[in-house]
Amino acid sequence: MPTTLHVTQPETTERRLERRFLLTEEVARMAMRTVSSHLSLARDDRPYQWSTTVYCDTYDWRAYQDAERGESLQLRFREYHRIRPDRVLAAARTWIELKEDTPNGSVKERFGMAAKHVPALLRGDDIPQLDGDALFSRGKKFIARGARPVVATQYNRIAYSGAQDRVRITADHNLMYLAVPWATNADTAVPARLGPVLAQEPNVIFEIKWFEEMPDWAARLLEWIEESAHDRRQSKFVVAMRHLLGLGSKAAS
Amino acid sequence: MMSTMTRSAEIDTATTKIVIVEDDPASADVLKRRLEANGMFVAHGPTGEEGLRLVRELLPDLVLLDVMLPDTSGYEVCLKIKSDILTSRIPVIFLSARGDVFDKVRGLSSGAVDYLTKPFHPAELLARVDAVLRHVETEAPRLAPQIESGAARRPQALVLVADNERRARIESKLRDHFDAASGAAMQEVDLVIVEEGRQSPNVGDATVLHLSGTTDDVARIDAELVRIADLAARQRTLRSDLKAATDALIVMAKALEEHDRSSPAHGEQTAERAVALARALHLDEDAQSRIRMGAQLRDVGYARLPSELVAHRGQLSKEEREVLERHPLLGEELLRGFTPLGQVMPIVRMHHEHLDGSGYPNRVRGEEIPLEVRIVTVADRYEALLVDRPDRAAVSSAEAIRMLQEQVVRGHLDAAVVAALATMVREGAE
Repeated sequence: MPTTLHVTQPETTERRLERRFLLTEEVARMAMRTVSSHLSLARDDRPYQWSTTVYCDTYDWRAYQDAERGESLQLRFREYHRIRPDRVLAAARTWIELKEDTPNGSVKERFGMAAKHVPALLRGDDIPQLDGDALFSRGKKFIARGARPVVATQYNRIAYSGAQDRVRITADHNLMYLAVPWATNADTAVPARLGPVLAQEPNVIFEIKWFEEMPDWAARLLEWIEESAHDRRQSKFVVAMRHLLGLGSKAAS
Repeated sequence: MMSTMTRSAEIDTATTKIVIVEDDPASADVLKRRLEANGMFVAHGPTGEEGLRLVRELLPDLVLLDVMLPDTSGYEVCLKIKSDILTSRIPVIFLSARGDVFDKVRGLSSGAVDYLTKPFHPAELLARVDAVLRHVETEAPRLAPQIESGAARRPQALVLVADNERRARIESKLRDHFDAASGAAMQEVDLVIVEEGRQSPNVGDATVLHLSGTTDDVARIDAELVRIADLAARQRTLRSDLKAATDALIVMAKALEEHDRSSPAHGEQTAERAVALARALHLDEDAQSRIRMGAQLRDVGYARLPSELVAHRGQLSKEEREVLERHPLLGEELLRGFTPLGQVMPIVRMHHEHLDGSGYPNRVRGEEIPLEVRIVTVADRYEALLVDRPDRAAVSSAEAIRMLQEQVVRGHLDAAVVAALATMVREGAE
């Protein structure tokens, strides 16, 4: 019998470009000082709040393999907390995010709903409100292939954004990668306990996301960062999966 | 660099224990002397790694943590303390020369209770330490006290009746079956008798009898108590007999393993490993108990196969392999009549199944395989890899983990369980 889920309307998002760097604490400090003189602290993000993102994949690791090739559809659940939680999918509202990455940019949609409905979503129950949404239809196919939560990230984020969020710059500190011991899609599966810490990132993940054209000052900042950065960073999902699957040498790159 | 600590024999369990993680020896020395002068036991680690080792070893009451350390950041050390179930409740105070608002916010976000900017006045540090310790004292203890085994004791009855004369009379009637329990040992009580209008205490799985009725009923109720208490005592004996029967089955399974298998201790090691994994994954004690029992009994089906086949060394024919792969089903058949073992049956039946459906005997997949089974499967494979077998040599623990991770990638084993094992091995908690 289909479960009716009460979801918020998806945030329609056009294709967005993003760059990601791994910076030392000192370089990140200087970069964020520049950012703060051009952008405002993001209104919706409490500085250094904990973001927990639970990523899904299939038993044959389809999402991870696609992501390594640079093209993937990610299904993930995001929650925000003041204090780092050791349980997830416990909140009154969790954000279900569908993110499609391609070499030409990424599209993200997110839907808010009560975390207690996540098992129903993973069982493939109907969500009438989302019928007809193209990205969500693809998400349902991914779910039908056995997608379930496998890995999580937790970090403290400080976010700055411009008018209408046309440019958004974030710095993620205290990034941790954790396994998620998920064995059933029964309603009792949530709240879910987080598993062991797979790895911690001592450096800072610096991300810039923008639509259309990047502002001049941001382009100049990126040039400077490219000279100072450790390396360009794979997505958190890819790095988390490499740690989970024991591909340690790849995870460090 | 070495950590400094006074002899462990000097540590009184009542003394406040503090670990200082600070790379500047002069600062650490000043702090240490100041705290010791206030009657505290202090251990000092000059690096993040050494500090973490001291925290895990001493389980201190408080950690004073520098942010900038030679090998890692204080934030990372704090997150590790807060991520370990054994140390997560230990309060941490950051001491740092970095005084930006964002530094403080970040430190507190890492799980610290306070953030003190250097240079600080020693009196302020002591005041903050005292404030934190005072707060901790009001919380529950970090580790629950060990409950002693009740195997050799007589059952206990707690009579909560206001009238002293009636209470003495009831206790006297129960004396054949029960000792009178003191209010202090609630966990060990087997029977509680509570008069009407009084709240029953929290006594776990003890039998609770509520006395109700008019004054005229008192004599009749008290007379009935002997019969009811007798029933409660029998129930307790039955529970204990079932446990004894289960223990006997486990002994039998071990004996079979010793007789037929090349590595007789494998079952016990698998059970120990599986329970450690369950604990690392925060499974509750009931689940740990099912996992221990299931791991010990998982191969009991071998008892119904020809012993020369079970003890066979070297290559098996296709037919022989098919027979051997029936052992989970045979084990299930063997145990089916024994109701108390119903909850461990999935472990016996499914410990050779794979998440992608390529295992045996029933080729079940994914969600059909419970987490408890997945844990035993990983523990079984890991322990098997560590010992010599006729067809291959033992491998190191690091190599065993690598091989299990390959099986995760192939879709056979649970990724989170293998990750927990890898963490356990990496951190030396073997």
